[in-house]
Amino acid sequence: MVAAVSVGCNRGTTDLAVTGGAPAIDAVAIGPIPGPVEQETELSNPYSDDRVALAEGRKLFVSYNCYGCHGGRGGGGMGPSLRDEVWLYGDSASHIFDSISRGRGRGMPAWGKKIPQQQIWILAAYLKSLRTPLEPEPPQP
Amino acid sequence: MNDRLKTLLIAGVAILVGSCANHKEAPRSSSTKDVPGTATGIRLVSPLPNGEWTMPAGDYANTRFSPLAQIDTNNVRGLHPVVTLATGIPRGHEGGPLIVNGTMYVATPYPNNLIAVDLRNPSGPPKWVFKPHPKPRSQGVACCDVVNRGASYANGKIVYNLLDGNTVAVDAGTGEQVWRTQVADVNYGETLTMAPIVVKNRVLVGNSGGELGARGRLVALDLDTGKEVWRAWSTGPDSDVLIGPAFKPFYAKERGPNLGVGSWVSDQWKTGGGTIWGWISYDPELNLIYYGTGNPGPWNGDQRPGDNKWSCTLFARDADTGQARWAFQIGPHDEWDYDEIMESIIVDMEWGGRVRKLLVYPGRNAFVMVFDRETGELLSANKFIDSTNWASGYDLKTGLPNINPAKKTHQGIVVEDICPSSTGGKEFVPSSFSPKTGLVYIPGHNTCMDFQSLQANYIAGTPYLGASVKMKPGPGGFQGELVAWDVRNQRKAWNVIEPKFPLYSGVLATGGDLVFYGTMDGWFKAVDARQGKVLWQFKTPSGIISNPVTYTGPDGKQYVAIYSGVGGWMGAVALPGVSSDDLYAALGTVGAMKELEKHTNPAGLVYVFGL
Repeated sequence: MVAAVSVGCNRGTTDLAVTGGAPAIDAVAIGPIPGPVEQETELSNPYSDDRVALAEGRKLFVSYNCYGCHGGRGGGGMGPSLRDEVWLYGDSASHIFDSISRGRGRGMPAWGKKIPQQQIWILAAYLKSLRTPLEPEPPQP
Repeated sequence: MNDRLKTLLIAGVAILVGSCANHKEAPRSSSTKDVPGTATGIRLVSPLPNGEWTMPAGDYANTRFSPLAQIDTNNVRGLHPVVTLATGIPRGHEGGPLIVNGTMYVATPYPNNLIAVDLRNPSGPPKWVFKPHPKPRSQGVACCDVVNRGASYANGKIVYNLLDGNTVAVDAGTGEQVWRTQVADVNYGETLTMAPIVVKNRVLVGNSGGELGARGRLVALDLDTGKEVWRAWSTGPDSDVLIGPAFKPFYAKERGPNLGVGSWVSDQWKTGGGTIWGWISYDPELNLIYYGTGNPGPWNGDQRPGDNKWSCTLFARDADTGQARWAFQIGPHDEWDYDEIMESIIVDMEWGGRVRKLLVYPGRNAFVMVFDRETGELLSANKFIDSTNWASGYDLKTGLPNINPAKKTHQGIVVEDICPSSTGGKEFVPSSFSPKTGLVYIPGHNTCMDFQSLQANYIAGTPYLGASVKMKPGPGGFQGELVAWDVRNQRKAWNVIEPKFPLYSGVLATGGDLVFYGTMDGWFKAVDARQGKVLWQFKTPSGIISNPVTYTGPDGKQYVAIYSGVGGWMGAVALPGVSSDDLYAALGTVGAMKELEKHTNPAGLVYVFGL
């Protein structure tokens, strides 16, 4: 247990290739780590407050067919809602990146080798913007 | 609980057990074509379930009519639950149980367990539970909840489909797997959700995945071995579609070589949908099977110019070879996701002064279509939901719909108030036909939509959709309507309005002149088959999206069974993981259904009612 946590602590980003100004993610664990302490270095998403990027994320959400599973505005359907309180696999920027990149067992495809990392970060930023004032094209009431 | 109550309860159970033992066992397999009180000019071609319930609709003709008459309009008020069972799976419970040889078989949603209940001891533990463990990722490619629409019994085996693309045969006595055959591939967005039927030692299975670019097909498997005997694709060259010299469609629009390729642009037919996830009928006299195919993919019609054959098409095929006899494309170049996979009700009936071999098809397009099932001639097409506005009717000479140009959909344009919505004037939930009344009881929807086509990109295993849809209640504000359709006179005889939600359960008609159905907020109802008066109702805990069945128990008494378990496409908003503030969620159903989550919760329950 202690060993596992310390391995997690040693994970850094300094030796990773950086593409398009966005941090790479290869060393992040899949999903939240069980146990009381998770001191992993949190990656920040450079696009999280960028309205141009969020609008682009909305477009990617449609063009990569995400909306077919996760709902027109992320409200879910075939796949879980992305605009409720629940983040099944963690709500940090790196966890969301990880869910998109590596996929999840109940049907989420692994997109890491299909789309550029930068676009995954932009998608992650869009997802975090849902239900916030920054959400592009929010659902009509 | 006080001791006196306990004693009473124990005594009650003892009396129940005693009463079971004192009655003679019902005949093991009984069926009939002779129903007392059958209306003049009506003739059934397939035996009815008379005690047991061995296939999804009860009979090959998809009448969902049982001649059992112990429970009738006079005593139905005394109906009460006698057995309950939890499947342990809080997802949409579509389909219905089978009853064979004193055993009830329940095929559950994913993980697709098969539960066998001994009806001699129905409140005891199940005889066995078969757990097939389908691949978990299949959950993520199922468009409309992880549902299963039922099983079939034949020759000692229960045959049903697993969400992950496999068909299994299970020994009905022991619960051991006999064979498992992969029919569909989740890597290409395919699942299996429909209820197979067994015709002459062939198991007929169709795939799902019309929202994910799947290519529809019907496969015949050998009942003994599970080996594929023939395969009829819904798109592609005639050799794939099993169109040969015997193919004699009634209308010119269906004639010509390789229309399953030529009515598409380039290779679009390879991802063109036309999946087969509804109900199959069989006429043992003509030796023909009948079924319909689903929507073309993607939903965006601008991306696939042409008629897109053979999507949204009714097929008649030789039951032995699968060769097509006739076809009728109900929705040429569908632009609204009107899958035409509904039940084909086959009955011989007086029509225009003589008895004709009819096929009555209540469509997702909200028209009751009556065909000559020998030739494929369309004899009539009438709206059964008044708000229908995508078309005014069908031209019986050409077989083509008269489409309202204002409701055609195009990329980038929001077309408002199209009626019905993609979920149809009815969904897959099956109607019932009573030979006593001559009425078809249709579980109808009055739901409309705003539809915007979007550019769709094909990525294998992901939705191939191309549409932003928001559904809403139709004119008048109500969404559910049980329509009693008078086939011969081509008109609505009466209806029952369900104000809140679409009618999303199957319908059962009985010899006791009763019609049973359920509502999405959990009410199970019995109405008078001749007037529609509600005679009895019972509130189950979860919404009903399943099909009621009736049978004779080992004690000789009639029972009615139903699943209570909300979900499915229209019930998705009641499931965890769907947010009601996104009206476009669950492929657009949330817009119409957002109130549902306040009225019901997920469950997986079996209810059996008796007098």
